[in-house]
Amino acid sequence: MPAIAPASPVRSPVKRLAGKLQSVIGLAGIVILAILLSPTTPDGANVFLQLGNLTDILRQISVIGIIALAMTFVILTAGIDLSVGSTLALSTSVMALCLTAWHPAVGMVGHILLSAFAAALVCGAIGLVNGAVISVAGIQPFIVTLATMIGVRGLAKWMTGNANIDIGFGTDDAAVFAAFAREKATVIATFAILACLFWLCLSKTVFGRYVRAIGDNEQAGLYTGLPVRRIKAYVYTLCGLLAGVSGILYTGENHQGNPNAGVGYELDAIAAVVVGGTSLSGGKGSISGTIVGTLILGVLTNMLRLKNVDSNVEMMLKAAIIVIAVALQRTRWRRDT
Amino acid sequence: MTRRQALRTFAMGMAGGLYGCRASTAGRRFIAFSQCNNSEPYRAAQNSLLRKLVIQHSDLRLVIADAQQDNSIQIAQIETFLRQKPDLLIVAPNEQAPLTAIMGDAMAAGIHVICLERDILKPNYTSYIRCDNRGIGRMAGAAIVEHLKSKNGTPRGNVVQLHGLLGVEAEANRNDGAMEVLRGAPDIKVVHEAVANWIQAEAKDRMTEILRAESQIDVVYGHNDPMAVGAYLAARELGREKDMFFIGVDGLGGSAGGIKKVIDGILNATFIYPLCVDRALDVGLRVLAEPGFTPEKAYTMPSMMITPQNAAQVYNQVTL
Amino acid sequence: MKADLLRAEGISKHFGGVKALRDASLSVATGEVHAVVGENGAGKSTLSKIITGAVVADSGNIFWDGQSVSIASPMSAQRLGISMIFQELDLFPNLTVAENMVIGNLNVERSSWVDFEKVDDFCRPFLESAKVRHSPRELLGNLPIGQRQLVAVARALSMGSRLIFMDEPSSALSEDGAAILFERIQEFKRRGVSIVYISHKMQEIFRISDRITVMRDGQTVGTRTTGETTAEEIIAMMVGRTLSGSNRNSSVKQEPRPLLRVSGLTTARLRDVSFEVHRGEVLGVAGLLGAGKSELGAALFGLDRIHSGQVYIRGEQVQVRSPRHAMTLGLGLLPEDRRLEGLMMQMSVRENSTLAVLARFSTAGFIRTREEQTRSSQILESVKLKSNSPGAPVSTLSGGNQQKVLLGKWLLTEPDILFLDDPNRGVDVGAKWDIYAIVDSLAAEGKGILLVSSELPELLRCCDRILVLHEGRSMGIVDALTTTQEEIMSLATATAVN
Repeated sequence: MPAIAPASPVRSPVKRLAGKLQSVIGLAGIVILAILLSPTTPDGANVFLQLGNLTDILRQISVIGIIALAMTFVILTAGIDLSVGSTLALSTSVMALCLTAWHPAVGMVGHILLSAFAAALVCGAIGLVNGAVISVAGIQPFIVTLATMIGVRGLAKWMTGNANIDIGFGTDDAAVFAAFAREKATVIATFAILACLFWLCLSKTVFGRYVRAIGDNEQAGLYTGLPVRRIKAYVYTLCGLLAGVSGILYTGENHQGNPNAGVGYELDAIAAVVVGGTSLSGGKGSISGTIVGTLILGVLTNMLRLKNVDSNVEMMLKAAIIVIAVALQRTRWRRDT
Repeated sequence: MTRRQALRTFAMGMAGGLYGCRASTAGRRFIAFSQCNNSEPYRAAQNSLLRKLVIQHSDLRLVIADAQQDNSIQIAQIETFLRQKPDLLIVAPNEQAPLTAIMGDAMAAGIHVICLERDILKPNYTSYIRCDNRGIGRMAGAAIVEHLKSKNGTPRGNVVQLHGLLGVEAEANRNDGAMEVLRGAPDIKVVHEAVANWIQAEAKDRMTEILRAESQIDVVYGHNDPMAVGAYLAARELGREKDMFFIGVDGLGGSAGGIKKVIDGILNATFIYPLCVDRALDVGLRVLAEPGFTPEKAYTMPSMMITPQNAAQVYNQVTL
Repeated sequence: MKADLLRAEGISKHFGGVKALRDASLSVATGEVHAVVGENGAGKSTLSKIITGAVVADSGNIFWDGQSVSIASPMSAQRLGISMIFQELDLFPNLTVAENMVIGNLNVERSSWVDFEKVDDFCRPFLESAKVRHSPRELLGNLPIGQRQLVAVARALSMGSRLIFMDEPSSALSEDGAAILFERIQEFKRRGVSIVYISHKMQEIFRISDRITVMRDGQTVGTRTTGETTAEEIIAMMVGRTLSGSNRNSSVKQEPRPLLRVSGLTTARLRDVSFEVHRGEVLGVAGLLGAGKSELGAALFGLDRIHSGQVYIRGEQVQVRSPRHAMTLGLGLLPEDRRLEGLMMQMSVRENSTLAVLARFSTAGFIRTREEQTRSSQILESVKLKSNSPGAPVSTLSGGNQQKVLLGKWLLTEPDILFLDDPNRGVDVGAKWDIYAIVDSLAAEGKGILLVSSELPELLRCCDRILVLHEGRSMGIVDALTTTQEEIMSLATATAVN
């Protein structure tokens, strides 16, 4: 029984701020590298810095980025959600099915909104199931969401007969929705709005404080009278919901409902969260960090694509970046303290 | 090593490595090829043929991007290509619906787009190089009828079909073309169908299940060679391969291709599925060289049946 | 004056930017029990680790038997005859007693094959010497903690140690275990083995040591002969100031109805416990390890299920369903292990302090930060928290300050009844007295306090009455003013019933 444990070293406020800005410095580094290595167009402009390219990057990271926002909350509670990729697939399937096969007696806008609502509702329900089983039955999040990942994928494929549901280019409700949802502005705006909401929630609300507290020390949270089970159920529901929102955008971008979509997206989202400084053991992390982490991986991918680096090499480099980013964030690097 | 030192070393290593990758681009025309999936043999053959043809022109620079069968990745890769303002963009679309809009963006940006082999929902391209999958299907159907006629005296027998990815046009047409012909022979029954997604290992598994379910199988029509080969392997494991007639589609050269399989007696027949990239490059270069030239909206590449009689000869012609 | 066996002088050591030792010194005579005391962070552990070879000093000299030596590793320390028994006991519970004794032991003949007979023969005399009552072939993990301690001592002896460092050896022991240890220490002393005894517990130190060296802030403050000094002087040297150790004035309010009344409380670990706590009263809870002290808190706070019995708060019967419910009833619980059960170590001091009452500082779910900051600073000031940055993670604070943050957190909930489970465990002397003062003032405000502690002098100083538990049963409630430590101990060990 440790009677007296040594206190961890006190860091001055300046050092603490530098620690928090570490991921931003990393992002700045990658951006500079990308600018230096960027090809130039025939008329001499730096390709990477073109506004079109920069907004491309923002669009390309949005789907994973939105999921990563909610994944931050889940990981902050020392949990994990492996089912988001499958949930996204379910969302695209429901959205596309509702848009193409269901014709309620409401106007076009109503049809689109109802379809989106249906997709989001179904995915939120999946998240709630995850959260309920994890918080009430006390089964490890890894196991529960692994099971959901498999089951929901099966559900999506069964619902669609394992076929994609294409959205055409005509004037029907589905096509109008797709044209709107694939606009860069729509996608980036959705990501930005959700990012602001989640940032506010984590840093300024009681709920956000409780999420961090429970991840830091669930036992102490119980002793303090925090509603531990409810908070856990909520964070997983949020994760499902945001996977649903991402799926809706995905449907527009890809002009189809795809029950095989999103494979591996959970790992991309987790990578973004972790590179951004959130610890997998819970309690430490931030939304701003996740956004930076998402940007780092997005800029890196873009930089490598502009250099036409082989996609397999790209994967290896990404893996190296993830490990290095996490290693650099450890507050205790030396054995001797 | 301290944190800062590690960071600096890594950054310099990355920069050095990537800087070294820079090829000299001055003055060369940039051809961008968005390939949907490098790992299929057919597509690998497309890539190597295209590379071989481009090398013959010293003023061309070719870059091939592999979308790994993911629509989102292919869209992003094309977006990135557009930023670099290529002279020519060739796209082998992974799926119809997702790629239509982005290829429209490319056209809108004034870039010449050649659509390869798979169609999209709207004609968002300068030209479309296509193969007649329906025609191939019909030829396959005819081959089935021929074989059964010679085997059983009349066109009668049991056929098993192995399908590729269901959303793809090639799949639909290879199926429909064959069914068109088979409908005229009511005693030829398609007793079993399975989806093996173009993959040999999956086809072998599916075929094993089918072999257990069906006692009498005369013909196996795999919609590509790997699937037909997979079916053959499954049948051989159960000692039933001698009773069956295996038809595939693709007819690639080289030691792993379908023609060799016919030579070796594994497949009984296959159909050349043209690589299309040669015509694509031709058309593209002509468009760039002659400003007044307007290409056809679509070019159809011819196919040919490979049988044990002509296999050896075609093999030498086609193998790179 | 006996000749010095060990003399260490001018020892300095820094870790990163922190100076752990500055010109520290220590001298130990042959056959002496020498106590080393100091607050948390004073440098006692570091100095011991340097002398026993686990850490290398930046500068300084060590003389052994008059000769200058350099101790570069635990092996070289062992060769000289110095060994250390760590607080956490660096032994292997899944190996046998004998295996534990011979591992890394330079006195054992090295060979590729293990001759178990030979090993047993080697170990037996030392085990007997240390009064270990178990066979060398038994698994160490099966021994009770007190016996394991003695195995560690036997191991040190078997290495031919002439100087043994013991770091807080009695913190994990029961009173009988500690008694056996002390008796053995005296025996070894008679045989010429010296012991350096690092501890907080004044009582023990004054009981067994010959001399006491006090350290503070990485320096050696001074050495006194035990018989010629007092606990107050030693404490004053430790904290650098004198503390008023006056006894409290009782503030028990005489009221007909007690604030808390428990009758026949039975849970999985408690049997038929009954007591009352009045407004302004501090009720101590005493007992050995496993007596059920913490379990009492868990039961009252809604963490353990109550099988039978009644709990009355302010005269009304209640069924506490959960910690949240307990808080609404005016209960508060300071848990035993502040790291595992009490604090969010990565969150800031301020965040920890307001966590239990956050809803009070919020509108529509958003936290009113300025109000939070003000209230937090107020409460932390009232518990005399010495911390410059309330935004720093609470893990950077010392044990005593961490405990104060926890106290502050519970005080913000404005409880009527507060259950403090060993609040001074691992807390340095200065903070301890601050906490005593806080408990006094809480009682003076009319709250009812239940104070669990394993240090009897602390209970006698702070409490009005003391409930003594033994294996889940109440053995009696004694008056703190008239009872003695012996009486409490005999109740706790069930050798007499009140």
